[in-house]
Amino acid sequence: MEVCGTHTMAIARYGLRELLPEGMRLVSGPGCPVCVTAIADLDRVVALARLPDVTLATFGDLIRVPASRTTLAAERAAGADVRVVYSARDAVQIAADEPDRQVVFAGIGFETTAPTIAASLLESRARGLANFLVLSMHKTMPPPLKALLDLGETPISGFLLPGHVSVITGTACYEFLARDYGVAGVVAGFEPHDVLQALLRLVRQTRPAIEIEYGRAVRPEGNVVAQRLLEQVFAPSDADWRGLGIIPGSGLALRPEYADADAALRFPLDLEPPLEPAGCRCGEVLRGVTDPAACALFGGRCTPEDPVGACMVSSEGACAARYRYRGVDD
Amino acid sequence: MCLALPMRITAVDGALATIASAGLEQRASLMLVPDAKVGDYVLVHAGFALSVLDEVEATGTLELLREIGAFAADDAVTADDAIAADDAG
Repeated sequence: MEVCGTHTMAIARYGLRELLPEGMRLVSGPGCPVCVTAIADLDRVVALARLPDVTLATFGDLIRVPASRTTLAAERAAGADVRVVYSARDAVQIAADEPDRQVVFAGIGFETTAPTIAASLLESRARGLANFLVLSMHKTMPPPLKALLDLGETPISGFLLPGHVSVITGTACYEFLARDYGVAGVVAGFEPHDVLQALLRLVRQTRPAIEIEYGRAVRPEGNVVAQRLLEQVFAPSDADWRGLGIIPGSGLALRPEYADADAALRFPLDLEPPLEPAGCRCGEVLRGVTDPAACALFGGRCTPEDPVGACMVSSEGACAARYRYRGVDD
Repeated sequence: MCLALPMRITAVDGALATIASAGLEQRASLMLVPDAKVGDYVLVHAGFALSVLDEVEATGTLELLREIGAFAADDAVTADDAIAADDAG
């Protein structure tokens, strides 16, 4: 199982599935941050964007993902102040340039992205900006791997571990896979030869272990500076994952010292109960239980142009990857 | 989402670097890799450098690319090319 959306895309784009020998099957897991974001969290983002004083800053990935009743793109068209940024630092600059606006950054992403939000928050503090806020929906990767293995729905014998998450975390956080579950793991880069080399290393293991194939970027200890920054700004919290539900300790909440920058505390909102899109099997796809093409909506009612579920919206969702490279990746 | 691109640092100004790849120049924060210096290749994600790429390891990647025929054996290819070729992920 690969648990990084960028791996999902690389596997589909280069048609790697077709090259695999009999007996080896690749399934996509919960590796696309947009896809695993719970509908209730998306509803909160939309509700914040509707507030008159709020400028909602977000990475582009989130803009078309359906919340219960609408999308950020639709809200923007209806007049909400939603801005797509390349970096959280750009959102800090908006806060500096427009002191009358409350700039809320929609924080999604795994360990790769969360340190950049932590650093931006510290930068906004250093610049004395009280109007830069974060809605943290950040998540960490090891807990869902454990949750998937505990569920036992999918027979996973090895993980292609996420290259850029591991740049930050290092490999110690994955050791439990081999030690407690007897499941192998290789941290892989994103070129086709990286993925193939990592698969080769997985099958050549005589006993399950955690290895690094992506050695040009990943050190066993990870990026210690970024880890310290994460610990300084965030604390582990329970988080809601699409398809997996609440996983204890899998989220990153702002520490109490940063409560004044916590958008969830600044703007407490009563939200209507979330509505899941009818017929969408995104949750099962994210657990590797259902193949994207096995969903009745796939390619008909649900396409990247007119998506029903998050896995078809995000450019690195398993459904979008399969649809885009159909014919290559079957 | 976790996309990160290898880019070369061409100038450093405090915690900010100018980085370049394939003729494209931009700024990135070095807050997460304080030891990075001019000439290093760094992986850049969302305006931040996350990691300094290891040239020795990248050379190993190059060997592998040669082996699988991605480069013709007589091409003059350097470790820089291997890192620069590594533009996905």
